[in-house]
Amino acid sequence: MQVEPVAALSFAVMVTFVVFSIGLLRRIAIYRRGRPRQIPIIPALFRVPRRYLVDVHEKVDRDRLGSWMHILVAGGFLAALLCCCLTLAWPGEYFLRLAGLVSAAAMLGGASLSILRRSGRIEGYPASPSQGQWRILGPALGFTSLGFAGWFLSSGQSWSAGSVLAAGLFYTLAAASWRAPLRHALAGVLNLAFHERPGRFAESPDRGTALTPLALNEPRLGVKEATDWNWTRRLNFDACVECGRCEAACPAFAAAQPLNPKALVNDLARACELPLGDYDGQGHPGAPTVTTPTRHAIIPGFVQAQTIWSCTTCRACVEECPMFIEHVDAIMDLRRFEVLERAAIPAHGAAALNNYLVADTPGGDDPARRFDWAAGLDLPLVSDIRETELLLWAGNAAFDSRGQRTLRALVGLLHRAGIEPAILGEEERDCGDLARRLGDEATFQRLARLNIATLQSYRIGMIITPDPHVLHVMTEEYTAYGEVPRVLHHSQLLDRLVADGRLGDLTGMAGRITYHDPCYLGRYCGEFDAPRRILSSIAGELVEMERARGRSRCCGGGGGAPVTDIPGKRRIPDIRMADAVATSASVVAVACPNCAVMLEGVSDRNAEIADIAELLARAAGIET
Amino acid sequence: MAETDILFTPQSLGTLTLKNRFVGSAHEPAYGEGGLPLERYQAYLEEKARGGVALVMFGGSAMVSSAWSPSFGQLNLGDDRIIEPFKALSDRIHRHGAYVITQVAHPGRRSRFDSRNWLAPVAPGPYREPEHRAAPKIIESYEIEMIQDDFAAAVARCQKGGLDGVEVVFQAGQLLNTFLSPDTNQLENEYGGSLENRLRMGREILERTRAESGREFIVGVRMVGDELARGAMTQEECLEAAVMLAETGLIDYLNVVGGRAGELVSGSISIPNMSFASAPYLYLPSAIRGSVDIPVMMAQKISDPRTAARALADGHVDLVAMNRALLADPHFVRKLRDRRVEDIRLCVGANYCIDRIYAGGDALCIQNPATGRETRLPHVIRPSGARRRAVIVGGGPGGMEAARVTAERGHDVILFEAEARLGGQIHLASAIGWRKPLAQIAVWLEAQLRRLKVDLRLGTKADVDDVLALNPDIVVIATGGRPVIHGIEGAQHTVSSWDALSGVAAFKTRVLVFDDHGGHQALVAAERAASNGAEVEYVTPYRAAGIDLGGTNIATHLANLCRTGAIITTSQRLRHVYPENGRLIAVLRHEYAIEDEEREVDQVIVECGTLPVDGLYHALKSNAWNGGELDYDALRVNGAQTRRVNPHGQYQLFRIGDAVSQRNIHAAIYDAIRLLKDV
Repeated sequence: MQVEPVAALSFAVMVTFVVFSIGLLRRIAIYRRGRPRQIPIIPALFRVPRRYLVDVHEKVDRDRLGSWMHILVAGGFLAALLCCCLTLAWPGEYFLRLAGLVSAAAMLGGASLSILRRSGRIEGYPASPSQGQWRILGPALGFTSLGFAGWFLSSGQSWSAGSVLAAGLFYTLAAASWRAPLRHALAGVLNLAFHERPGRFAESPDRGTALTPLALNEPRLGVKEATDWNWTRRLNFDACVECGRCEAACPAFAAAQPLNPKALVNDLARACELPLGDYDGQGHPGAPTVTTPTRHAIIPGFVQAQTIWSCTTCRACVEECPMFIEHVDAIMDLRRFEVLERAAIPAHGAAALNNYLVADTPGGDDPARRFDWAAGLDLPLVSDIRETELLLWAGNAAFDSRGQRTLRALVGLLHRAGIEPAILGEEERDCGDLARRLGDEATFQRLARLNIATLQSYRIGMIITPDPHVLHVMTEEYTAYGEVPRVLHHSQLLDRLVADGRLGDLTGMAGRITYHDPCYLGRYCGEFDAPRRILSSIAGELVEMERARGRSRCCGGGGGAPVTDIPGKRRIPDIRMADAVATSASVVAVACPNCAVMLEGVSDRNAEIADIAELLARAAGIET
Repeated sequence: MAETDILFTPQSLGTLTLKNRFVGSAHEPAYGEGGLPLERYQAYLEEKARGGVALVMFGGSAMVSSAWSPSFGQLNLGDDRIIEPFKALSDRIHRHGAYVITQVAHPGRRSRFDSRNWLAPVAPGPYREPEHRAAPKIIESYEIEMIQDDFAAAVARCQKGGLDGVEVVFQAGQLLNTFLSPDTNQLENEYGGSLENRLRMGREILERTRAESGREFIVGVRMVGDELARGAMTQEECLEAAVMLAETGLIDYLNVVGGRAGELVSGSISIPNMSFASAPYLYLPSAIRGSVDIPVMMAQKISDPRTAARALADGHVDLVAMNRALLADPHFVRKLRDRRVEDIRLCVGANYCIDRIYAGGDALCIQNPATGRETRLPHVIRPSGARRRAVIVGGGPGGMEAARVTAERGHDVILFEAEARLGGQIHLASAIGWRKPLAQIAVWLEAQLRRLKVDLRLGTKADVDDVLALNPDIVVIATGGRPVIHGIEGAQHTVSSWDALSGVAAFKTRVLVFDDHGGHQALVAAERAASNGAEVEYVTPYRAAGIDLGGTNIATHLANLCRTGAIITTSQRLRHVYPENGRLIAVLRHEYAIEDEEREVDQVIVECGTLPVDGLYHALKSNAWNGGELDYDALRVNGAQTRRVNPHGQYQLFRIGDAVSQRNIHAAIYDAIRLLKDV
């Protein structure tokens, strides 16, 4: 019997499809080993094209080479595949062959770019992408594209081209649901469809986290084993393409602390028993990757504890990840288990959590002293006046002389604008941000409930705070426990006061200013412009650091990193100051008390660190 | 948390809450005009409030009775005219979140009979006090009643003026102090004898005061913790008196002080200069604080942040009072609070401030000319907005201040100093142990210059070409002076005090130090020679050693010279020095008797001051657009210098400090800031 190449290829495509389907079912079965989560399948799948073309493209396109590579490879492949399928029906159609050839050529071009990218030979291109089997992907795609080309050139008559094509398709499609790198296309699409935080993809993105309020009577608090995650979270780890963008963005990795977010995601995928290829990227600095896990517990079976405690929760990795992986949420789940069930937390972390128990403050400071700095400013106590338009929430920085400087400047500015903020006095408790980031959900929930009850017992129009951590936790995380008044970051209110001319004449400042975006104001709450508008109204010259706005580099002060204090080879604030110094700015403006402390602690910094409120007060001629 | 953060915790004082633990203690800067605190006085005090202290005290021995007129320009609380300026003052202090308190006092015997009203001073004993030397009349009961009325009326005026309280003076040799001390109270009635009797006058005044003021008003007492004099109140007795006062329930705080004013040495004990250790009397409030339940504070050489923090953290005091530290830097507290510790200009204990008052002047700081001149000189130099190039020649205190001010104005500054280190004559002035702290003046200035990135060219003696090559817009000549020996025949056989102090000339066995200057210079040389084992005679043509020095510093010099067996000869002028038999013969002539006598010595050290080093100045005048000339009308009021005489001039030229004529550290620094603050 004479077998035509067309028929053979059709058969090969069918085999490929069957193998792919088996792999897919097997993967789905693995995902489903986690906790259940109900989500309507079909509507979710319909969301994919928009998320892919808009959201994924925005991330991928930050690396132009990567973007073009994907457009050429994926576009060329899909177009060539379509042409190929059509040629099975109309093998001799000239225009079909021509279109197929062009598509194959595009794919070949893309494959060449892929080879180039992973070769490590491009000047200035990060050495972060994983090598190993990822390096095979480019040549394999090139091989496939040649198969396509041969197929179209021979009008589907060439056995050899057909064989090459069949092999190529098998590798790219069938193996994609098993171990091959192209798996990311499959897992990526599923991840887009079923993502834990659909709000990320909204028109105005929801920047919240997936930190769900933890029921403290659950048998398992936080995540010990990978099966403690639901299936969409497990799927999330599977989407990693090992591109290394998270690694390049991670401040802890840059400081050579034992955390590489890319390696972590791969650790977690392996803990999920996902059949990956061998991880061939950089590991966690100074901490060998666990290669032969002996236990189901993620820590220490797959990940070392110091890795999760190195994280500043800055979410630079999350911001960069083109596959929308949620590294920080995963770390928070692991921290919750470590703290709530194992009571294991390094360095001063335990002291901070104990301080919360005795004093309601992480530093053990007496809440009655929170407004020591305001003695002489005659700020009314809400408990005296019962009702206020504006409440000043001082936050934990009120115990520190650095933070007090900002607070005094802020009060001076409000007074200048004729606004009399009230204070809670000793009724203000810590917002609980540090407790939550350290995984102590019990303390966080206690403080959240107490603060909400206090706030609800008065008539409060609005809350203003200079601390983005307070802003974030109150606007995003208190909502699960009750309603709180609207909270504004001081930059947001001051921006309005400047715009309305309520601060009087502002004297411009000589020299160059650069602005450091606090993670919890920018990436967590989406406020990038208010501080910049304020600064441009007073700065001689406002310059941007290379890493700014959503891609700003952390100061090292978030997520409890200063208390867990995992050693590295450098200090994160030193690295951030180097970013600032590169702009030759004489002033680094900050908008967060943690950033102020971290950056001011850099020796030989050669630039002044000042909160925007301090700079604005100076420009307004307000003595504090 | 910084060690000093404890200083920034609030403290209750009576019904007030102070925002931090810093108090500007009361003193009398002699800025009163007709007994009133007008603009200058108010601006001076406001600067302390702006600088961050929680409580500003003022009115050193402000006088409650109009009858006994002020002896050196204190405030007069005995007249309703003070109420209006008090209102203005209290508003200005309250604006900065601080509170304000005046002292209320009666001078007693610490006064003069020949002042305005020609009244005999009153006291509980007949004996004179050596500083004012007026013999008092023994106080009679109607005078006691009258003075008590005066206290009550004065307190009422303070309250009407919006002040937050008063501090009743039980120290400093004033009337209530003399009642308290057994050796100055010779009364045999109910006001003399037992401690309870001796305290009666003060207690009755507090009762009248409290009855007048009500509970809302702060009433405190400045109280001796130990009179530190033979026959006077001991620490035990002072403690007992303090407890008795506190137990009356009439007062809100005790401000404890060591020493009194009864002997000539008293001033130097109670206002400890740089020869004293830090906070020498901290044990006094410490003892009292354990026995009373009201806040206790102390001043007296708590002049740096760590000492202040220690005083508080170790429980010696509840509040840290400072006076001289705030004269040197009224923004001490604010800088500490804002973690700019290195920017705090620390008091060096030179006591220029207090010694100027003893000499009949007003209080000025040796290193901070803006203090007391707030209406005309800024404590914080604002940037000019322009960026010029300034060349400063000379790195003594004047040149350094010129560089600091010019750099703060935002200009690029290059400073030439011929020596390998900055400081100029300060290194000579601090050449003996107890004068060492003077060097801190240069240390602070140098740190500021480094912070301001002034281009320091040390070990470089600049000439005209060096200056012109930099194409400057501003040139400041601060080249100082060189020692001169004048009016002495055989001067080649003498050595200058500079050579003696710098170690160029070694000290010999028998040394005559001739002082035709009257400042510290010759005394420092004499002390240095004596401490090197020389047999020293100090000779001066004036009627006292160190004629220009005030009471607190001359005390240290005289005590040191006495201890080393040095001889002090006054009213003798060195006329002639000649060698004979391998030794030197110094011929002295009595200034008034015009009779000669001779000394046979091994070495003659002469201090006649310096002559300006002004060659560079004269060489640069022709190219300067102001020709080096000053607008004296502007200078008088510290206005901007805008005089132009040469349309082709390339730069503005100033000459400051000893390069003009020999003066002192304050004059050099003042020259610098007043001429350069507007460039």
